[in-house]
Formats: sequence, structure tokens, C-alpha cells
Amino acid sequence: MNAPWGIPHSQMVAPGTAPHYPPPPAYTPVVVRQTFTTGPYAMGQQVSPTQPQPITVEPMEPKKKIDWPQPVRDYVQRSFDPCNVLPDVPRHEMEAKLKHTISVATDSNSLDTIDWANIPLPQQMIRLEKVQAAPAWIQESVNVHINGNGQINPAREHLISKKRTSQDLDRDDNESVSTPPWRNTNNRNGFEDRITYPANRIDKRQQPFQDDASKGTSKFQKNLEKRQRRFDGGYKSTYKVSPEPAATGPVVGTSQTLEKRYFRLTAPPIPSQVRPDPILRQTLELLKKKWKKEGNYSYICDQFKSMRQDLTVQRIKNEFTVTVYEIHGRIALEKGDIGEYNQCQTQLKALYDQKVGGNPVEFKAYRILYFIHTSNRTALNDVLADLTTAEKEEKAIKHALNVRSALALGNYHRFFRLYLDTPNMGAYLMDMFVVRERLSALSNMCKAYKPDVKLRFVTEELGFESDGDAAQFIYDYNGQHLLEEKEDGLRFLTGKAGQTFESAKIQAFKKVDIKGQI
Amino acid sequence: MDSVIQDFRKAYSAGDGYGLAQTLSPIPPSSQSERLQKFFQSTNYASAQKEFRNQILYDNSGPKMPMDEGNGWVEVYTAYWKAIGEILSAEAAAQSNARSSWTKVYDAWKELTNVLHRGYSNCGFEAWTVPCFYVVGKYLRIFAIKADEDAATSTTTMTNFDDFNPEAERNEKLEDAARQLNRIFNLCLSDRAPLEESRKWGIYNIINLLFKTYFKLNSISLSKNILKAVRAYTGDMPVLESFPLAHQVTFKYYVGVINFLEESYVEAEKNLTEAWNLCHKDSVRNKELILTYLIPCHLLTTHTLPTQALLSPYPRLQSLFLPLSRCIKKGDLSGFDAALVAGEDEFVKRRIYLTLERGRDVTLRNLLRKVFLANGFEEAKEPGAPQVRKSRIPIAAFGTAISIDSKETMDNDEVECLLANMVYKNLMKGYISRPYGMVVLNKKGAFPGTGV
Repeated sequence: MNAPWGIPHSQMVAPGTAPHYPPPPAYTPVVVRQTFTTGPYAMGQQVSPTQPQPITVEPMEPKKKIDWPQPVRDYVQRSFDPCNVLPDVPRHEMEAKLKHTISVATDSNSLDTIDWANIPLPQQMIRLEKVQAAPAWIQESVNVHINGNGQINPAREHLISKKRTSQDLDRDDNESVSTPPWRNTNNRNGFEDRITYPANRIDKRQQPFQDDASKGTSKFQKNLEKRQRRFDGGYKSTYKVSPEPAATGPVVGTSQTLEKRYFRLTAPPIPSQVRPDPILRQTLELLKKKWKKEGNYSYICDQFKSMRQDLTVQRIKNEFTVTVYEIHGRIALEKGDIGEYNQCQTQLKALYDQKVGGNPVEFKAYRILYFIHTSNRTALNDVLADLTTAEKEEKAIKHALNVRSALALGNYHRFFRLYLDTPNMGAYLMDMFVVRERLSALSNMCKAYKPDVKLRFVTEELGFESDGDAAQFIYDYNGQHLLEEKEDGLRFLTGKAGQTFESAKIQAFKKVDIKGQI
Repeated sequence: MDSVIQDFRKAYSAGDGYGLAQTLSPIPPSSQSERLQKFFQSTNYASAQKEFRNQILYDNSGPKMPMDEGNGWVEVYTAYWKAIGEILSAEAAAQSNARSSWTKVYDAWKELTNVLHRGYSNCGFEAWTVPCFYVVGKYLRIFAIKADEDAATSTTTMTNFDDFNPEAERNEKLEDAARQLNRIFNLCLSDRAPLEESRKWGIYNIINLLFKTYFKLNSISLSKNILKAVRAYTGDMPVLESFPLAHQVTFKYYVGVINFLEESYVEAEKNLTEAWNLCHKDSVRNKELILTYLIPCHLLTTHTLPTQALLSPYPRLQSLFLPLSRCIKKGDLSGFDAALVAGEDEFVKRRIYLTLERGRDVTLRNLLRKVFLANGFEEAKEPGAPQVRKSRIPIAAFGTAISIDSKETMDNDEVECLLANMVYKNLMKGYISRPYGMVVLNKKGAFPGTGV
């Protein structure tokens, strides 16, 4: 990425005259460059609103003894013509640009070849540059904001603040800040740039404060901080409050295509690639049909994600949005894609809070079951805090709450009754933790019952479909020696189980992937 | 301006960090209620910086300090002056019912925080001045909360194109404040100066502010990162015991609560007990907070209840815990359930509901123990032999007890399940003999820790 202050020049400056080159040695015969560096553009500080014309182009002429061609004079004239003034381009900026343009032309000996009558006026150039530069830095700040979820790297923040100032360069009066440090060294007086300093000296002179009287702080510390200071441009930088990222307000989509692959955006969306509400409704109908017919989950998931994205960038939050998230949530549940489901439920929670319709009871119940699955106590507590008394009486929510309390109290008997009678699609969620709860119940039984119980009892208590399933489960966890045929059927020798299921249970509870990604 | 800068000079010359910090408070001392207005009116935007510079750097009556440090303080007081301006206008707006902008206050205060931060990283502010961070950090958090409150309708920028992020939008400033506090935390933690002049001495105060913020943001898990970072520096840090008591107590309290929420009750109890012991005897509110978590901890780890004497100074805790305690003691299951429902909102708010719920086990244990006691003694085989309690008890007898005060009778399988739980959790010793419908209890210590 270009250094931000490079942007305005990149189109204008010939490579050899790029401003960040070291100051020319004293003998350099190029006269014009002197004005270039002492002009208001370089420093900005001499320009104050009360002195609108400290150095205009006219006084430049006799000094340099250059015979300005008439087209150049006209160009200058036009630049200052009141009817050409642009309100958003301050005069000193315009002057700087003008000077710059002419000096570049002089340097490259193109004063006579440039078509002065037709090239844009300096204020127009500035405006153009601003427009061109804008997207680049908007994008930058957006990226940072995304990365900055946890903590914005101070160095980076600093960088951005500089970036921002580079856009409205010299707009403030005391802008020593936005001037790159090498400029600082150049502007002590008109002749400074004629002196060549050894590299390390230049380095030193860039530090704004050099009072070395160290009081109390260890020398090491002092040096350390100094070194650090060298990198972040010195204390004086007006470390602007981290710049407001450019407002990426809602866009209005214009795309008419129904299907669209999901692509993770890192820049503001382009309206022509975003589908508006009516198209998205058609998309949903199409997807529903396709899902019924083809059942291709990876396709459907991708399509739903792009729908969600389109809804988000257009800030559409209505009953249709809810429907999209609900359907995607249900499909994800069915397919066991718990990560995607979780994203949907998080959004749904916010949407339900805004009361835009949908099926809050159904999904709030799922949410409870989900947090049971992830053993997220904090979230469970929050869910309890959010539910109203009326909601707690709703069938699905009541069921989920009962599941929670049954497990909290170790009441596996009640838990498996509830498991067999789960409303809506909650069973998909319960399936995810039913195995570990069975192991838990089995270790419980093995410690409490002696000498044995009928296998039938295990089947019923732990909600297995058949004795065969129960036996298989016990087999799967190396309990084959615990099954014994007696006169009245198979028996489960609880007294001999020891730690068989205990360790499996501990393993099973450990394995909860909190994020639930698959 | 005078009083603020004079206080600055006084505190600076005396090396009084807390006094210095006080000059950056947004709350005037009660003796000078007009102090902030006067301070703000004493200068204006154009000349504030210049005036501070004159007073701090070029006034011979003031303390001597290195140029760059002096400039740092000039920046700090300039930023402070601007922030005070915002605060005064926000307060004035609030009084006249106009829309006050706490967002502006927050931004100005954040700038002050940043300038102060830079004072340490760039201008050689010394470690003894670190209490400035306590004051500035404290109010940064407060202003962020206020800003978020009145920015409820503000339009935030979109940072995630895939989904909405309502939580982040609601707490935008507070999350930002957490980031700023984290920067301060790192500034203190990574100070490599020798301990006696290290900013590390500020670390626990800042950590406590961070914890407080994370709790408010409901991202308690982030606190773990802080603890991890501190642990990584263990060797290079002064021991916790050498920090001011106030820092220690708050820190231990939070560590205790974090463990409590993760169900590490033993660790939680340890930290909370330490906080309890160190807590100033007159900080009733703090002691109350500690007990709010220590009591449920105790219930789970030792199955003991708070005494009347312990609770007597805290009416709030009494209403919180006494009804439950009574039921637990009596073994009154339905009473327990009712008390849990009655207190649910309060319990959930304090995040102790899920823990207290487990007190039901102790209630059940006490009830079953009563059944055991009521079941009487074996017939003496020979006269004069010590009496032995009957250790074989029908499951149905327990079932009857469990169903007392309940509208329906619990079916036998569920009763068995509850009994199995008691055995599994070592609250009751013995086993269930299913073919006979009996519970066979240990002859000695059927209910461990209860004397029978």
C-alpha cells in the first residue's frame, strides 16, 4: 500500500522528484526546488487565514529569473479567478498544488510542452485526488475495524490517524503533524535544505524533545522509550482519536439474479451485486424448492449465507429477515451444522428482541438446549434472566427449562422422559448431548444399584428404542462382560461395573466444543 | 485554572501520586463545588495550551521537571480542560432537559486517557504518578456507560457484513473503553524498569477496572486472558501481598467470582475467603458482595448454611438466603422449590441461581435422613445391647417423604433415580436393591457428616 501522503502525488510527480528523497546538497543548482520546500504546501504553518497570500506565484518570478511563458501566466491567473474557486478546496492547498505543478513542469523542462490551457486547474486536481483517494482509505479503516474486534494495535491506530490527516492535508493550521518527519528537518529556514547532515544527526533532530535530565527513571527505561519514540513519530503527533471509519451506511441493491455464491466481504458492498428485498423473497422460494428436491446442504448453506449478507448490508430487519434466519437455522440443525445454527440463533435473538415476528418460542427453546449442549452456564444464566414469566409457560420453552433443571439435579429419569417428548426440532439438539447423559446415568446406576438390574430397566430409564440398542450402547463402551442371561431375561451387572462408564463419561463431558463448529 | 495547577504543583513537588491523580478528577471536591467551572472558564480553546505551558514549564515558582515531561503534562491538562468543557456542557444540557452528549464527553475523556498514556510511553512520566490512571481509567468506564446509554439510537458503522452485531452496537463505547484499559494494562505490565520505580505497581488497580468492565460487558471469559498474562509475568512482578489492600481485596473478589462462575468452587472459596478476611471491617457493601458468592460456595463445598449472626448486618443477604436456608435445614423439598422460584429473578441477576439450585441435593439428603431416623431401631437381639437403626428401608417410604406437599406422587423409578443420585454424590452411603424394592444403608455413617 502506498504511504498515504504518497497518494496525492503519485500521479503528478515524476519519479526523480518524489518528495521523500533526501534534501539536495548545497551545490544543487536547481533553484525552483527551494520554493517547493519553503512553500506553504511543504509546511503549511506559515499560512494563516489572515494572510491569504503570503507567497503567491507572482513574487516568485523575479527571484527565479525565469521567463514564464504566457500560457503559464494565464493558467495562474485562472487558478485565482474567483469564479473558479471551489468551496471545498482551501486556498492555501490550491496554491501549493499550483506551485507544485509548475515546479514539476519546470524540473522536467516541460513548461513549454504542457497544454496549459487544457489541463485541470489545481483546485480541480485536488478535488479529483480526494475522490480517488477516498475509497482506498475507507477500505483501510474498515479492515482495521474488523481486525480490531479485540484490541486495536496502537501502532496501527496511529497509522490510520495519520492517514486521515493526509486526506485533508493542511486543512488545519498547525499541521506539523501531517507533515512527514523528513520535511520537518527541511524547514527550519530557507537554507536548511542546502546543508547535508550525516544520517544519524538527522535522526536526532527529528525528536521534538531532547531534554535528557532523567529524574527517577532508569536510564535503560529512558533509552528504551526514546527508541520507541523514534518509531512513532514523536510525541507531538496529534494522535487523533481513532478515526471514525467511513460510514458504510446501508446500500440498496440492484442485482436481479436469484442465486449468488457467498463471498466474504472485506470492502463495502457494491450495489449491483446485492439483491434487494423483492428478489431475495424470490430467492428464498427457489431455495426452499431446491432444498426439498435436491437436499444439497453445502449448496443451500452457501446460498443462505449470501442471502443473510445481502440482508445485512441493506439493513433489512423485518419478518422476512427472521424467516430467512429461521429456515437456515432449522436446516443447519437438521444437518447437525451447529456452528451455522449458532450464528442464526444469535441473529434471531436480536431480531426477536425487536419484535419483528417469527417463532420466538421455538427458537428460544432451541437456544436453551444449545447452551445445555455447550455447557455454557453463563449463557444459561442470561437466558433465564431474559425470559418473561409468560414465556416460561410456553410449551417448548418449558420443556427446555425442564430439561435443564433435570440435568442440573441429575434426574436422568425425568431427562429421558423429556427427551422422548421433545417439541419441534429440539431432538436434533438433544441428540448431541444424549450420549454423554446416558453415560452419566449409567455410571450413576452402577454405583447405586446392587447387584444388578434388568436390561429392560436400563432401556426404559435411558430412553433407548429397544433392549438391543441399550445392549449395543453398553457394548460400545466395553461393558460386554456386564450383561448376563438369566431365567427372566438379560441382566445388567451394575455391581461389577466399577469405573467402566465413569471414565467414558468424563471424556464425553470434556469434549464439548464450545464454538460448536464442525 | 489556578487551583488545579496549584494542586498539580503541590502534588508533583511532594511526589504525591494520589494527590496528583485527584487533580484529574471530573468530580470537584465538596469544599470547592465551583472548581471545575472556574477552571474551565479561566481560559479558552485558543490559549489553553499556551497558558498551561506557561504555568507548568516556564513559571519559576513551580517544580522543575524535564522539558519533555513538562510538555507531556501540558498536553494532559489541555486534554483535561477540554474534557471538563464537555462534561460541563453535558451536565448543563441534562439539567435543562436538552439532549446531552455523553458521547462527546467520552471521546474527550478518551483523548485525555491517550495523552496520559503517551506521557508514560513517550515523555518519561514516572511510576509514582501512576494513580492518575486509576482516576482517569475509572471515569473512562463510567463515561463509556453513560455514552452507550444515550447513544441507544446512534447509527454505528457496519463492521461485519455477514450478520448484524447487536451486542457490539449496544456497548460500543464500553467495548472501546475496555480496549483503552487494556492498553494501560499492557503499559503497566510490560514496564521493564526496576521494581522500585516500575509502573507494575499500578497493575492490579487497572486489572480490577478491566474485570469490572468485562463483567458489565458480559464477556467474563476475557478476564481469563488477563489472568493468563499476569501469570506469565509472575517472576517479574511484586507479590500480590505487597500491593495496597484495596487492590488485593477487589482482585481476589473478582478471581473468586470468576472461579465461582466456572464451578471451580474450591478455588472460588479460597479466593473469596481471602478477600473476606482482608476486607475492611466497615466496607459493608463489599463484604455483602463477597458473601453473596461465598455463601453458595460454602453450601456446595461443605454443606453448611450461614448463621443468623453472620447475616444479621446484611438485611439484603437475609432476604436472599434465609428462606432457602430454612427449607434446606428442614429438608422441605417443596418449600425449597417455592423459595427458589420466588427468588429466581434476584438469584439470576446475581448469577447464583444455578449454584443455589444444587442446594436441593442437601435438602433431599436432610429429608432422607429424617426418614432414616423415623424408621426406628432393629429389635434388640439381646437385652442391653446398643440400639442399631434399621438400615433396610423400603423405597416407597422415601417416595412418600419426597411427595409430601406435592400434588402428585412421584413414581418409583424417579424416586430410585433421586436415591441413586444421593449415593452417587456420596451424600448417602448404601445401595439400592431393585428386586426387593429396598435401600440398604451402611450401618455406620449412612449420611456422612451428619452424625448418623
